[in-house]
Amino acid sequence: MKKTICVAMVLLLLTSSLVFAAGKAETAPAVTDPNAPVTLTVWCWDPMFNIYAMNEAGKIYKADHPNVTVEVVETPWADLQQKLITSLSANATSNLPDIILMQDNAIQKNVVNYPEAYVALNGKIDLSQFAQFKVDVGTVDGKNYGVPFDNGATGTFLRSDIIEKAGLKVSDFTDITWERFIELGKIVKQKTGVAMISTVANEPDFPMLMLQSAGTWMFDENGKAYIKDNTVLKEALKITKEMVESGVCVLVQDWNAYIATLNNGTVASTINGCWIVGSISAEPSQSGKWAVTNTPRFANIASSVNYSSQGGSGWMVMANSKHPDVAIDFLAKTFGGSVELYETILPTSGAIATWLPAAKSPVYSKPIEYFGGQKIYEDLVGYAGKVPNVKYGIYNYEARDAIARALSEVMQGANIDSALATAQKNVEFLMSE
Amino acid sequence: MANSTLTKKINLYGWLFVIPAALFIFVLNFYPMISAFMLSLQSGRGNNLKFAGLKNYARLFQDEMFLTSVGNVLTYLAIQVPIMLLLALVLASMLNDPKLRFKGLFRTFIFLPCATSLVSAALIFKTFFSIDGIANISLMALHIISEPKSWLTDPFWAKAIIILTITWRWTGYNTVFYLAGLQTIDRSIYEAARIDGASASRQFFHITIPLLKPVILLTTIMSTNGTLQLFDEVKNITNGGPGIATLSISQYIYNLSFMYNPQFGYAAAVSYAILVMVAILSLIQMKVGNRK
Repeated sequence: MKKTICVAMVLLLLTSSLVFAAGKAETAPAVTDPNAPVTLTVWCWDPMFNIYAMNEAGKIYKADHPNVTVEVVETPWADLQQKLITSLSANATSNLPDIILMQDNAIQKNVVNYPEAYVALNGKIDLSQFAQFKVDVGTVDGKNYGVPFDNGATGTFLRSDIIEKAGLKVSDFTDITWERFIELGKIVKQKTGVAMISTVANEPDFPMLMLQSAGTWMFDENGKAYIKDNTVLKEALKITKEMVESGVCVLVQDWNAYIATLNNGTVASTINGCWIVGSISAEPSQSGKWAVTNTPRFANIASSVNYSSQGGSGWMVMANSKHPDVAIDFLAKTFGGSVELYETILPTSGAIATWLPAAKSPVYSKPIEYFGGQKIYEDLVGYAGKVPNVKYGIYNYEARDAIARALSEVMQGANIDSALATAQKNVEFLMSE
Repeated sequence: MANSTLTKKINLYGWLFVIPAALFIFVLNFYPMISAFMLSLQSGRGNNLKFAGLKNYARLFQDEMFLTSVGNVLTYLAIQVPIMLLLALVLASMLNDPKLRFKGLFRTFIFLPCATSLVSAALIFKTFFSIDGIANISLMALHIISEPKSWLTDPFWAKAIIILTITWRWTGYNTVFYLAGLQTIDRSIYEAARIDGASASRQFFHITIPLLKPVILLTTIMSTNGTLQLFDEVKNITNGGPGIATLSISQYIYNLSFMYNPQFGYAAAVSYAILVMVAILSLIQMKVGNRK
């Protein structure tokens, strides 16, 4: 009797371990009934911004398609990227959602490494209605993988009350050079004691937006690393260093601290992608005290203009989706076809569309009280049209990281040329196999 | 005869009971280790991998970022492990004092950091040393510094703060091992030493340390292993910065897999490099530790 129990227990353990090892089998019945309930899972990361926009899109689509529910799972970008790569490498795609939001500068890398993972949208969504540079970002070998979402056009967001205290006007910051920006920053600091601007210490955000303002990137047209002897990059590091050393720019440790410097009045301005409007407006006590103008340019570089881009993202449909057609139709009818959606999300989140028909909506020409009655969205859409186009390339993150390191070395007193030469070497190493 | 069948039977049951656990260990530990090694012999991006022999291992020596991360980790190791283990030893001998009151309370306090999650500990230390953190506020109140210092953007201080965090988090853990070791040392040895007129420090260096040798060896190997695989603290406090001044080897593996274009083959080779280093360092420590 005892023996039987023993054997039975061991067998039970053995079989259970085998069951675990085998994993659960996935069989999904094909949906034939068009009215059967469908849940679309979406991964995106910002509750004030893209999560909000996605939920609103879900509501709009549900009005016509009551059987479709959109379920957003808040997934920070770094986690999203990690989960994505892990699942795709292991060929275990059953945990992946139907739609993901992807940073513009990561689309090329992800599509090139895992081309089978995403659905090409050519002919299924009318992409001609989107800003061309945003469509290009999501195009690999002639196939379009991204539905462009937010615009990353940059602006100088100013605390008008602080700069007025320093005897300056918002228009003093329009169409200026970085050199002039530093001079003005010194005046503000001297007269009010407030630093002009802040940035995250370990991130090369300024050099990146400076590069794009000159229509240059860290790679040449053949995709080779272009870091060493890149005069624009050299100038960008020089100016960033000068901003920090002159006390015009405050370095902070991370993103939250950066947002805090805006919301608690530590700085008189910030230069960033227009999606920063959502975070700026989160502080009700500063209503009416902000204004927007365009981005500084380089004095010494002819190709440089007062417009650039930072951030921005697009929606992608995953090939593992059980309802790819529903997901595509959903995106086509909301982010690629609903003026109503963009009118809803704009005032509260500052999500500036790259879908051109939306920009004609009267909502865009409304004065915004938070920005002292300035028609900021009209202005920002105007900036967006003038942003120089650059190819971010596949190795953007490798290069960005190398520049972050070069910047930190330059701040510690290293020679710019040798720091960039090291960066070039490191990027080339990571690009080789 | 009967006896022999019984032995056979017992043996059979023994094996049957061991098999499930052994199977789990094989599937969850050895199988990944073997496939990681196979992976380290391949190169390519994403899932486009092809066999490359030992090329990834040769690449390691040309990789300036890898070599810097090894240097960083060895710096942590050389400074942090001796400080932490000495501190743990001192704390353990103090706690072992039979005349000490509120012993339970002190033991709890010392072990408590260990119950904290690595990530929360890292985030708390990061907050302490931020521009408007408690470190700057207190130092300014004491007039030691005149304006807030940006600790975590300075390569030297960023390393120092990481060392401080690891020490805070793991000293209590090692203290427990030493305390357990101390309880096995007969009190009469100390009594005899006292009668012979040995001072407290003499007792510590000539009785406590030699008798604790096996435990010290164990904690040294565990700490070495842990430091070489350092990840959470660095990722959360400095994210490897400024530049790559605090980058650990594990974080470099993470970057190679999830931040850059995924190069899993090369990342696996880096992880095997850690394994080799742990093996060599442990071997040295065992050789040194066992010398009479």
